[in-house]
Amino acid sequence: MSSFIERPRFTCALGGAMATVTALPRTVAILHAPSGCAGNNAWTQAGGCGLQVGGYCGGLSIPGSNIQEKEVVFGGIERLGEQINNTLKVMDGDLYVVLTSCVTDIIGDDVASVVRPLKEQGIDIIHAETGGFKGNSYLGYELVLESLLETYIAKAETVKGSVNVWGIAPYFDVFWRGNLAGVRTLLEKLGLTVNTFFTVDDSLEAIRQAGSAELNIVVSDVIGQKAAKISREVHGIPYVISTLPVGPSASNDFLRTVGAALSLDQAFVEEIIAQENRRYYQLLEPITDCFNDMDLQRYAAVIGDSNYAVAITRFLVDDLGWLPEVVAITDVLEEKEQSTIVASFTSLTSGIAPKIIFNGDSTAISRQVKEHWESRQGKSGKYSNPLTPAFVVGSSLDRPLAFDLGAAHLSVSFPVANRAVIDRGYTGYSGGLRLIEDLISTIIINR
Amino acid sequence: MSNFDQKEPPRREHRLNACIACGGTLADMANRKMKCCVPDGERSFTQNSICLLLPALGMMNSIPNSVVLMHGAVGCGSSAHGGNAGVRAGNVHRWGTAKDGVWLSTALDERDVICGGEEKLEEAIREVDRRYSPTIIFVVAGCVPGIIGDDIDGVAERLQSVVAAKLLPVHCEGFKTKIWATAYDAVYHALGRVMLQDTAENLALEKPKKPTINLMNVSSMGRIDEVELERLLTSLGLDVNIFPVFAKPEKMYSVTHADLSISTCPTHDDYLLTYLKEKYNIPYIIKHMPIGIGNTGEWLRNVAEFFGLQNQVEELIAAEEAELKKALEEFKPLFSGKKVFVSAGEFRALSTAILLAELGFEVVAVRSYHHDEFADEEYEKLAKITVKDFPLSIANCQPFEEANLIRRVKPDIFLGHMNGNSTAAKLGVATNAIYNVGLQFVGYQGAYQLARRLHRQLTNPNFNQNISKWVNLPYSQEWYEQDPFTHIKNGEVEGQ
Repeated sequence: MSSFIERPRFTCALGGAMATVTALPRTVAILHAPSGCAGNNAWTQAGGCGLQVGGYCGGLSIPGSNIQEKEVVFGGIERLGEQINNTLKVMDGDLYVVLTSCVTDIIGDDVASVVRPLKEQGIDIIHAETGGFKGNSYLGYELVLESLLETYIAKAETVKGSVNVWGIAPYFDVFWRGNLAGVRTLLEKLGLTVNTFFTVDDSLEAIRQAGSAELNIVVSDVIGQKAAKISREVHGIPYVISTLPVGPSASNDFLRTVGAALSLDQAFVEEIIAQENRRYYQLLEPITDCFNDMDLQRYAAVIGDSNYAVAITRFLVDDLGWLPEVVAITDVLEEKEQSTIVASFTSLTSGIAPKIIFNGDSTAISRQVKEHWESRQGKSGKYSNPLTPAFVVGSSLDRPLAFDLGAAHLSVSFPVANRAVIDRGYTGYSGGLRLIEDLISTIIINR
Repeated sequence: MSNFDQKEPPRREHRLNACIACGGTLADMANRKMKCCVPDGERSFTQNSICLLLPALGMMNSIPNSVVLMHGAVGCGSSAHGGNAGVRAGNVHRWGTAKDGVWLSTALDERDVICGGEEKLEEAIREVDRRYSPTIIFVVAGCVPGIIGDDIDGVAERLQSVVAAKLLPVHCEGFKTKIWATAYDAVYHALGRVMLQDTAENLALEKPKKPTINLMNVSSMGRIDEVELERLLTSLGLDVNIFPVFAKPEKMYSVTHADLSISTCPTHDDYLLTYLKEKYNIPYIIKHMPIGIGNTGEWLRNVAEFFGLQNQVEELIAAEEAELKKALEEFKPLFSGKKVFVSAGEFRALSTAILLAELGFEVVAVRSYHHDEFADEEYEKLAKITVKDFPLSIANCQPFEEANLIRRVKPDIFLGHMNGNSTAAKLGVATNAIYNVGLQFVGYQGAYQLARRLHRQLTNPNFNQNISKWVNLPYSQEWYEQDPFTHIKNGEVEGQ
């Protein structure tokens, strides 16, 4: 393993936790941290999250103890106590989440000792130890979920047909709002009541009831599984795991997986799937002429976190009929997780087997992709068969690679510096259509 | 002994008695001989903001052929995703091609926290040197090394002889200073200690043939603003050397050859200017910021006086002002009597407030991110040009105070710094950026361009007004009923 990570495509656990808390309805984070952690995250979001910063109480509005050297020496608990008490007066929240930082985790401040008595007084306040050195922003998402599941969401009687969805980390999946909404739309087709926690259509009342779900659904091969395991222990709710469902093929599988897990009538599920495919291809139909006339099939390099790299590659192969040659997965994965990902590529139709790279380092990815492209350069001379025309689906850090390959480029995975994102999403059947619009619009921008 | 002989620069709360917690009015400030908050206070409620690492990264990432090696947890440095747009644009504007800033993280984990991260850092420095062959590696400490005791200076010293790149340790441990302007000292400190030494190659650099002036820019100006100041200074017959942003490492030492250094923002540069004076006997001026009509003139007069160009400068100023004032006429009717709230780093906030008063706005509140002695005169200038007294807030952001103040002073327009305009926007106030390296703010052209933008905003403020109807700020009703400065606890004089 390298002794450094080049331009990490995520931030730290605290950053991920902050983003997650600010995405919860009417929730206020309280940082037990030095003064810069919220600003660091705000600048990260402004540059990497499709211009989305903040939320109800995000950006530089997040309250914090702003500890200094004095607290490092003498402990920061007193300052935190004062900060929390005044936060309850100044801020208007329905839930408060205390998040710790590198500094306060290392000096060993006992945050639980401050939070517990307030909780006992009936104040909705929880905490998570999210020191940045513990891991990356995906871990921060998990740690907040863990805290919610263990200390905020009680076990409750099962409500049939209600499900929770995890696996999409707010902001660090730049299209999180749209992606969560897309998954919800899919599940609602099956007649389910869906709790996605973080969209504008979610509420704390509903989140509090999450312990009554019949099933927890994780739409990621890596993220959110810990939450599902905790909920199985705490609330007794079973879970299923699916790859992020982007486009029709993956959505078909997703609906079948969930249908089976909930023992829904198979014919009913298949009817929904047929309806949705009819609709998808009817919508796609008018573009068929130009798609073919303009020869819009591409070789592709797909670069992104495990959610995106797998889901987009599958969409490109199975739905759009493109030719992904290299897939780079940029989050830090354990060996077991890596083999799950590798296995998921073996089921692609057309027998296409892209080269898979596990690396988050832009320069290294670029080098390996270019090596692959060169190795396929074909014979020199009049008749050669290089990997053109090409497309790089990645992050904004992959623009130099696309330039070198002479390829078109679309930023999808964090950091997305060069797109404005509000509620666009790529999940579900309609998400596939959005992705086609974005890919092709990029190719024809100078038309 | 010079500060530059120490490993770390002193923090500004010690060196300059800089402070961040004060609330009152402009008149209070004047009555206290501009010592509004010495000794500094604390807030019993605070919001998180930024630390010195963020502006420091903005400077470091601009340096061509450099790599920033962040020694810290994996999140420290990710603000560079935001700063990168400025790096790309800065490269385009200077050399015609977009180039991303390169930064790396040692991503200290739980094991490193327990066992120490120096070994990892050593290995990283060697690998970075091999892989990227940079001229400079900034070795930057975040909070974690500051607590676990990793010695970045020691590591750099040990490895300097075995790597080709110059190693510049930079101290950005966020918990050590509450004044993020210490960032400028931290980077200047490293540049001074390593890049501005009398090495053979440095001594071989050609000396300028014409009178030359160092124009200091720590990234508070984009290229477009530099061009305006270059235009004015070259019209006086001076050559301009811009330092340190986007300065090529091999040419940095040229900063020691100038006849004069001039600050473009007195909040930024005293640390290096003093060093250049002490070590290379280069005189300096650190007095005005060339934002605003009067201030640009004063700034130019100071330079011209040094070079004995008084007559030329008066001609230049008269011609520039006449042309500008005529051009501004079309905007003034809309501006007249409009109330404005200004928020930014201290000097920028004050200079911009003065410019807005020049344009016919009524200044109704000012928030400076900190206070130190360099701005004393600027407060006096502001007091002279404004008619009524108004609230003055010294705060490292703290939007809760701002929200409360905005509801009281009811501005028509708010000018705020990065990530600092959304509070006003959600209250339905028209807003405009007081800082953005893509926009023009400086000199006569900057005054005109700012006026254009404000005119545009005031002509149709619907974006913010619509948002405010449907979006609430996260503050309680109880808070709005309290004095905006309730949570400021005054500092106590030591020993009392």
